[in-house]
Amino acid sequence: MSRKLLETDGPEWVRKGIITEQQHQQLLALYPEDQHVVGLLPLLGSLLLGLSALSIVAANWQGLPEWLRLLLLLGSMGGAYAGGEYFLARRNESLGIGLIGLGLILFGCGIILTSQMYQLIGYDAPGLLAWALAGTALTYLYRSRTIFVLMAAIGGIVQGYSTGQLGTFSYLTAALTVVGLGYYWWRHPDALLGTVLATGLLWQAGLLIGHLHAKITWFFIPAMLIYAAGDWQTDRSAGRALQTPPLASAFLFTLGLALYGEADTYAGMLRPPFLAYIGALLGVFALSLWGKYRRSRPGSATDWLLLLPGFYLHGGLALAIATLVVLYAYSGTVLWRAHQENNADRVTLGTVLFIVTTMVAYFKLTWAFMDKSLFFLVGGVLLLGLSWYLRRKNAQSLSAKQPE
Amino acid sequence: MATPVSTTSFTHRRLIKLAVAAQMLFILAVAGAGYATTALGRTVTLRTTPVDPRDLLYGDYLRLTYSISQVPPTLWQGPQPPRKHQPVYVLLRPQNGAYEATAVSATELTPTAPDQAVLRGWVTDSWRHGLRLRYNLERYYVPEATGKELQKTGGRRPLLVKVSVAPWGQARITRVEELPK
Repeated sequence: MSRKLLETDGPEWVRKGIITEQQHQQLLALYPEDQHVVGLLPLLGSLLLGLSALSIVAANWQGLPEWLRLLLLLGSMGGAYAGGEYFLARRNESLGIGLIGLGLILFGCGIILTSQMYQLIGYDAPGLLAWALAGTALTYLYRSRTIFVLMAAIGGIVQGYSTGQLGTFSYLTAALTVVGLGYYWWRHPDALLGTVLATGLLWQAGLLIGHLHAKITWFFIPAMLIYAAGDWQTDRSAGRALQTPPLASAFLFTLGLALYGEADTYAGMLRPPFLAYIGALLGVFALSLWGKYRRSRPGSATDWLLLLPGFYLHGGLALAIATLVVLYAYSGTVLWRAHQENNADRVTLGTVLFIVTTMVAYFKLTWAFMDKSLFFLVGGVLLLGLSWYLRRKNAQSLSAKQPE
Repeated sequence: MATPVSTTSFTHRRLIKLAVAAQMLFILAVAGAGYATTALGRTVTLRTTPVDPRDLLYGDYLRLTYSISQVPPTLWQGPQPPRKHQPVYVLLRPQNGAYEATAVSATELTPTAPDQAVLRGWVTDSWRHGLRLRYNLERYYVPEATGKELQKTGGRRPLLVKVSVAPWGQARITRVEELPK
């Protein structure tokens, strides 16, 4: 039995009294959604085809006359789009969208190869911007997840090229990603696309911070703006997926602070002007809280624990311990909320975070004082014991809450 | 969620055709820009040597380093020291048959004499005794039938590279030739 059948016909069975609503839900739980993997296949296929076509042509490229090269570029791109339309019209969605994606890749190759053919040097990236623009247009025209993922990647590539090679940040590309893809995701919320979008945006935000030579902690202002957008999204799982990458980056940053923060030289590199940074952070925090309140899920406010600006404390062991307390508080609340919501995935996540934090804490607090062999022995026993205890407790708690 | 819009809808089809046509026109426009840069731009001759004389052709392109690729730090104009990856403007003036750099600036430069030209580039490295610049002219994709000839001559002697600079800032190599004796 497939999940699709349960979803489409299930309500009818409930209406006819064949099964109860509760049984319907239990059946649904037996067939989790696994559409993501299949959705990625056309993307991979089009990537491989694009690469192989490119290598064949590239081997003979210089020997071909100019007009033939142009014709080849335009013909293959037009052919891919026409083929995509042909298969879409015949309801072969994955092949059709794969070919459309190939057309979009060939457009980018066409821009690059044509400028190479004429030895053209551009000092900004209008050519690549056109690529991102075409990607955005196709995302809306086909409403396809594959094209969306492709466009997020194109935005990242264009921005990487712009900052790395041309020494400028392309604000237009960033705006295109935020407005174009952001609005699309807002109207068609989706968990996978949320994570892809947030990752793409974080990548561009990181490039901006690097380009401006700003303190890296400024990164968390755009990152938490993305997080706050997730709070306002009505679709709970899509919003949560958008929030995962910013939270992961904040967790890793805090972990790094716990490990290296006690050297004041390191902490000193993280301190932006106090009032400006705290003001901006509080602004985003208020926006996020307001969203949580409006969508009535205030419990997740504990995520903000990770953003406590501990790096303003002066270094030394005090800072490391304060950061560890924050990490414990955070992973503890993740576990606690997971049990409250009876969410098995989140329990696993909370467990992993808790163990990672314990490892860092143990390393931080004992490495300098303990004999090394004893250090590893005690550490191993501690971690094994902790994971066994947490797993047992999780299993008990989840089975106790399983509906009868 | 991946539900393509019904492809029978008339406006949808028209929009798709429009999007594909726009992409084709854009590629043609890039080719057009190539011709326009030669037709409307001014030509600057640069002195260069291939990077590795024993192996001149790296696949299908030449690797070139110019006399203006490394300049003394005294040419730098600007309140702040040059930074890596920073885009710069380089003022060029003809000396002994080729253009040489006379000033490097982070802000836009305009030629003050008719024989001057401005090329844009990027800082790749800066130290106390020099400033290394990159112009994205360091690769010359060899046109058909010229590769062998260049390999014969250029391996031992410096080359002259003719670069067209369009009024809107685009640049392209138009010719690579042997230095006249």
